[in-house]
Amino acid sequence: MTMNLRHLPHYLMVLPFVALFAAFFLYPIVSGFYYSFHDWNAVTEPHFVGLANYERIVGSRDFSRAMWNLVTYVVITVPLGIAVAFGLALLVDSFSGFWSNLFRSVFFLPVVLPAFLAATIWRWMYAPNFGLVNMVLGWFGYPSVNFLNDTDTMLFSLIAVDIWVSAGFNMVILLAGLKNIPVDLYEAARLDGASRLQQVRHVTIPMLAPVLFFVMTYGLISALQVFDVPWLLTGSSFTNYGGRQNALLFPVMDMMGRAFGSVRFGQASAYGFILTALIIVVTAGMFGLRAMRSKP
Amino acid sequence: MAQLDLTGVAKKFGVVDVLRDINLNIRSGEFVVFVGPSGCGKSTLLRIISGLEEVTAGDLHLDGERLNDVDPARRGTAMVFQSYALYPHMTAAENMGFSLRMAGAKKAEIREKVAKAAAILQLEKHMDRRPGQLSGGQKQRVAIGRAIVREPKVFLFDEPLSNLDAELRVQMRAELIDLHRRLKATMIYVTHDQVEAMTLADRMVVLNGGVIQQCGRPLDLYDDPDNRFVAGFIGSPKMNFLSATVKEVRPDAIVLDRIGGSSTSLVMPFEGFDAAEGPIEIGVRPEHVRLAPSDERRDGDVEVDVTLVEELGDVTYVHATMPAGERIIARSDNARHRAETANRIRLDPSRFLLFGAAGQRIRPAGAA
Amino acid sequence: MTLAIEATGSRRSRWSSITAWDLCRWAMAICVTIVVVFPIWWMVNVVFTEPGTPVSINPRLYPTSFAAGWDKVAMIMRETGYLHAYYMSMAYALLTIAGVLLLGSMAAFEFALFEFPGKRPLFGLIMLSLMVPTAVTIIPTYLLTAELGWINTMQGLVAPGLASAFGLFLLVEFMKGLPKEMIEAARLDGARHFQIYWHVVLPLTRNAMVTLAILTFMKTWGNFIWPLIVLSNAEKYTVSQVVGLFNAPFSHQTVDVVMTANLLAAIPPLLFFLIFQRKIVEGIAMSGSKG
Ligand SMILES: Nc1ncnc2c1ncn2[C@@H]1O[C@H](COP(=O)(O)OP(=O)(O)O)[C@@H](O)[C@H]1O
Ligand SMILES: [Mg+2]
Repeated sequence: MTMNLRHLPHYLMVLPFVALFAAFFLYPIVSGFYYSFHDWNAVTEPHFVGLANYERIVGSRDFSRAMWNLVTYVVITVPLGIAVAFGLALLVDSFSGFWSNLFRSVFFLPVVLPAFLAATIWRWMYAPNFGLVNMVLGWFGYPSVNFLNDTDTMLFSLIAVDIWVSAGFNMVILLAGLKNIPVDLYEAARLDGASRLQQVRHVTIPMLAPVLFFVMTYGLISALQVFDVPWLLTGSSFTNYGGRQNALLFPVMDMMGRAFGSVRFGQASAYGFILTALIIVVTAGMFGLRAMRSKP
Repeated sequence: MAQLDLTGVAKKFGVVDVLRDINLNIRSGEFVVFVGPSGCGKSTLLRIISGLEEVTAGDLHLDGERLNDVDPARRGTAMVFQSYALYPHMTAAENMGFSLRMAGAKKAEIREKVAKAAAILQLEKHMDRRPGQLSGGQKQRVAIGRAIVREPKVFLFDEPLSNLDAELRVQMRAELIDLHRRLKATMIYVTHDQVEAMTLADRMVVLNGGVIQQCGRPLDLYDDPDNRFVAGFIGSPKMNFLSATVKEVRPDAIVLDRIGGSSTSLVMPFEGFDAAEGPIEIGVRPEHVRLAPSDERRDGDVEVDVTLVEELGDVTYVHATMPAGERIIARSDNARHRAETANRIRLDPSRFLLFGAAGQRIRPAGAA
Repeated sequence: MTLAIEATGSRRSRWSSITAWDLCRWAMAICVTIVVVFPIWWMVNVVFTEPGTPVSINPRLYPTSFAAGWDKVAMIMRETGYLHAYYMSMAYALLTIAGVLLLGSMAAFEFALFEFPGKRPLFGLIMLSLMVPTAVTIIPTYLLTAELGWINTMQGLVAPGLASAFGLFLLVEFMKGLPKEMIEAARLDGARHFQIYWHVVLPLTRNAMVTLAILTFMKTWGNFIWPLIVLSNAEKYTVSQVVGLFNAPFSHQTVDVVMTANLLAAIPPLLFFLIFQRKIVEGIAMSGSKG
């Protein structure tokens, strides 16, 4: 009893946070798990359907399409995005003082812009005929391309925007990692006769491995949940989303559509858990890879 | 009045005994120094007195009032930390007045008390500066000022000078002694530096392994240590310890043989040696080991190999190895020995201290 | 005389030291700058152009009419719910910041500086939530908000975002760096538990709090998905939704008006960035290196 009383102030101070955390994180997870086994439209009573929600999702054509899009998107956008960010970091790091700071800030600019804005600006940039991208193509004599409505180009248009939006974020983290590498190491490598490129290969990348790992894992987790940008690029609404032939349909969009378009909250909850399982598997895979690489 | 009594104080962190059965009576106005190697529990003992740690067993009394359950802020103690622990976002004056502010004192009263403390420490010019704008010595003074403002019965210092450079440390020591004289307050001071302890203390408490080894005036501890630990801990360079066997026990002396593994025998004045004592060890301070003049040979001189000579100006210390490999340091005033590789040393058996196998001191009969 | 020689000497060596690598990195930096800045610059140009000018005559490479831009801003403010959306977004951002800072700093104070039974598992659980994707909680959180009757309300918009595990993480990491002795000194000075938090720890955490406030602003201002589902009533729309309306496939707005709406939405974060760019960049770098 005296024990409890002495610790009371501690509990009082964490209480507001913990209460809201429990209400808006723990409870939703538990209730979502419950709903995922029920058929529910938020009006009538939920009734138990076992695994039917999961089966229905996995068996649906939208799901396969969304998963296929997701895999293609992730496989391209994550490595490419990190490569670009790494390049930018090296570029900024090669300058010093004022210029280094200036370029860092400029390259970071798109991150500051809300993603919904970046997406809408790019939607206009991609517009057929008078959009800026087509204008530039026009100067070189190419015909106008309807980037966001042509299934051949839609995914790549998304990836370009995505990299434009996120490269600065990863660049800043990588740059901080670069700054933590002791200069001695480069000097030692130079004395050992390593060229600039060899220095990157044998000093920078190994020393940056933990940061690269973080950037990659974080990038993967975000990419698997991609929503805002394709939603806006395709001008989606809850009843009509995914763009032409669902070429930009992604799982979170599909989930939101099932929840607020067709009002199937049970299915949408199940969708969330399928996605989470996928993310956990991928993250665990990343950690497993790292453990394997660091062993020998 | 500020009489602090510790009875049977013990402290465990989990299953680790950090302090065991500490009994101590600190008189009003006394300057007591806790000294001991790092990790021996000095800080823990001080923090128990301040109330930052609770005892596992035992009692604390200040002027007869039991302190155990009194809030740290109301114990009448004030602490000065090694890292100063000043609040970086407050000025020196605000730092010093913070405790009064927390106690709900009036602005005018705070200002007056802070100004008084600032005057004592000659800090008046710096009162509007933040800790970041003060030098190490000034920060230290502000930290002391913060304690003074509270008008405590007992000041507690935890290695307050270790972050200062050597010169400033000497100067601050003198200031602390002066401060003690002026405030006439009880002060408890923790340090691992025995020289600092010797300079400051009215009374020294030597701790090791969470146990009080000995407690007394600095020179009493120096001359008459209770055990091998205290003997070795106090004094720089350290006391020499040499193995020896007792060859013969006389009523008022003993004959020591095989000193430091050599073939030397010496007669040491010693009354009432108990022949039942097990193996013994001799302790002798460097100043009682001399180099024998080269033109004069005596029985009992030991041939040694010189390994290192420290010529410090006022004194010279000669480090050497005895024939069986035991190390010894001899002191030699105003002499140059740098080039020497061999020499003879002469021990003064009347200054030998004897220690038993468990490190306990073996005193002559009739001695305290 | 010697001076002149030295000057020319140094100039020559400076020119000759420009290598292919130097040219290459400058060229790259400038190209990237163009790619990054141009879309934003283009948006500005579209806004500050006389409406109806054909692209072939003015390819929007620079602004041509300040007055035209101003007219569009005035028109949007007058004829659409933009001003109210601005108010909604601001309120959403500011209330979230206040809540995240207050709740986060109170909890971080305990988690970083004190020991109490249950602390480790509790903190571990909260940190674990950083790994859980929003996708899995967003629908049930919406359902809870609906059950509470908070759809189309400010509390429904704000409350679910207040217990920010990321904010807690950032503040705990920062507070762990505060010297323990300072807290003890405050205790000896007679400060109660809450006073230590208020008078000592909070002022010392100011830097981290500012960083967290800015990052929270960026996140709430840019949050698209949560307002989209919680605020279904068009009168309660936030900026992100209103911008969505302007951009909707069948909205009858011309591109310059749409871009004006976009530009207005971009101004607060851009201003923030100009003022606080170091803090933002450092905050992100810090969360990256600690993660
Ligand atoms: N909070 C604690 N928890 C566990 N062990 C501690 C704690 N504080 C101190 N100790 C241990 O108690 C012993 C004494 O510490 P301390 O009193 O700080 O030593 P000193 O000040 O004499 O160097 C050390 O071994 C230390 O590791
Ligand atoms: Mg200590």
